[in-house]
Amino acid sequence: MVFLKVDGIRKTFVGEHKEEITAISDLSFHCEEGEFLCIVGPTGCGKTTLLRLIAGLDKPSAGTISIDNRIIEGLNNDATLVFQQYSLFPWRNVINNIGFSLEMKHISRKNRYKEAQYYINLVGLKGFEKAYPYELSGGMQQRVAIARALAYNPKLLLLDEPFGALDERTRHRLQEELLALWQDQKKTVVFVTHNIDEALFLASRILVMRDRPGNIIEAITVNIPRPRDRRSKKFLDLHIGIREILERILTTNRK
Amino acid sequence: MISARLERQQMNLNWRSGIKLTNTIVLALIIPIIIVVIWEFFAVRLDNPALLPKVEAVIDRLAHPFTDLLNTGSYLRHIVISASRVILGFILAMLIGIPLGLLVGRYVLVHRLFSPIIEILRPLCPIAWIPFALVIFKTYTVAEIFGVRYTTSIFGHIQLGMLFVIFYGGFFPVFLNTVHGVKSVKNILIESALLLGADKNQLFRKVIVPSALPAILTGLRIGLGVSWMVIIAAEMLPGSDAGIGYLIMFSYELAEMDILIAGMMLIGAVGAMLSYVVKLIADQTSFWQAKER
Ligand SMILES: Nc1ncnc2c1ncn2[C@@H]1O[C@H](COP(=O)(O)OP(=O)(O)OP(=O)(O)O)[C@@H](O)[C@H]1O
Ligand SMILES: [Mg+2]
Repeated sequence: MVFLKVDGIRKTFVGEHKEEITAISDLSFHCEEGEFLCIVGPTGCGKTTLLRLIAGLDKPSAGTISIDNRIIEGLNNDATLVFQQYSLFPWRNVINNIGFSLEMKHISRKNRYKEAQYYINLVGLKGFEKAYPYELSGGMQQRVAIARALAYNPKLLLLDEPFGALDERTRHRLQEELLALWQDQKKTVVFVTHNIDEALFLASRILVMRDRPGNIIEAITVNIPRPRDRRSKKFLDLHIGIREILERILTTNRK
Repeated sequence: MISARLERQQMNLNWRSGIKLTNTIVLALIIPIIIVVIWEFFAVRLDNPALLPKVEAVIDRLAHPFTDLLNTGSYLRHIVISASRVILGFILAMLIGIPLGLLVGRYVLVHRLFSPIIEILRPLCPIAWIPFALVIFKTYTVAEIFGVRYTTSIFGHIQLGMLFVIFYGGFFPVFLNTVHGVKSVKNILIESALLLGADKNQLFRKVIVPSALPAILTGLRIGLGVSWMVIIAAEMLPGSDAGIGYLIMFSYELAEMDILIAGMMLIGAVGAMLSYVVKLIADQTSFWQAKER
């Protein structure tokens, strides 16, 4: 069943000199319920713009986005977004950051803490409940942000290069944690990255975007059984295939 | 070997930080000591207490804060009266400045409504309002307004005109810093909150206010400082009957320089104390901002 449907969207911004910037043009795709969709593409191709449109933070200049056949207007209540930049509430400690959405639903403090604690354990931050964001490393902050998004229990989880600033080892560990969560919670995930290896490790399907203007030029279903071996032939072949697509985008566009 | 070296380094460090602390204290004391020495030198040379009293005379005044001065009451009484005026007037400034600042910072329409009048009034010194306030409010006090006509309570000394100028002095720093605090709330935090299910009301209470709180407290500290300066000036003008500003003006008229100087020192001390109290509260609530990377 189609869960998320993006239909012919365009997004234009007005630039500093009043010129029109087309970030995304005539972009469409479907996403099944429970899919782990990865979006890769060169910098500036409109990945963040696309996620913001799906989240309902911005309005498409043309086209529609629907969830379960309902066109979203205004904020998308079925989705939450983990931003590319750090976005924790700096005056709240870990447990109160993670429990934020529960507090908004007026859930009692006791139940809130119980539930938040579950997600704290899930992302491996036991013992840091009372820590403030400034006391955490970048990777820990990103894990809190993911836990905070999960505690909201959205049908659709949008992640914008959440591991972009991390070293390879931490990145790999968090990828495994995220996969386990996804398998456990049966959520639909749209995950933006410009790291091909990351996309191949996580995705059930990869959408490759081009820039100027942003659009999807290729959809690749990843049929490698999990847990995926990064050195397997299939993995490496797909890696090379996607790399070639991206290189082609860059060379054709820069001529 | 290594541990011995570490220990030596540690000792070295302790020794150095000890030196540093002593240094700080010594450095802080040098200028005041020089001033006191020069003061005493001239006081002895001049030998005219009406012009420059000796250091001992002033210290003696400070050592007796409960003793009546010139039949007007003690230092303590005057300070309590001045402080009550400031606190009451400043509470008014907070009660109006903070909510108005929150609204102006958040809603463009409210901003457009208030910002022209505020830009016009802001450069007008609060002291300039005193004659006007005297005419409008006469010498009515808070006690009289609440129907307690003959009273010896503190409220009998809190004139509406004074409240008004304190309010006026304290309002702008509180208001402007609140507006600034609200406008600097990071957009990503607002969007995060909305995407986590916060409604308009919750967004205000759970994100905008806590995020703006450090700026609001800075406004309170500055505003309280301004209010304290304004009250001293207001008390020195006609129509005033008590307060530490009144006392130093009265001691000027009677050429009681030791009372005057000790009074000035107390004004400085109380001002510093008020600022320190707000700073303590601010440090408690804004710890996250100072440490944010
Ligand atoms: N608010 C805006 N105003 C003007 N232009 C914008 C705005 N937001 C995005 N753009 C433009 O739209 C294009 C796509 O931006 P976007 O942030 O979506 O890229 P991205 O794919 O997320 O890049 P990156 O991988 O670097 O994060 C860029 O050319 C950018 O300059
Ligand atoms: Mg981006």
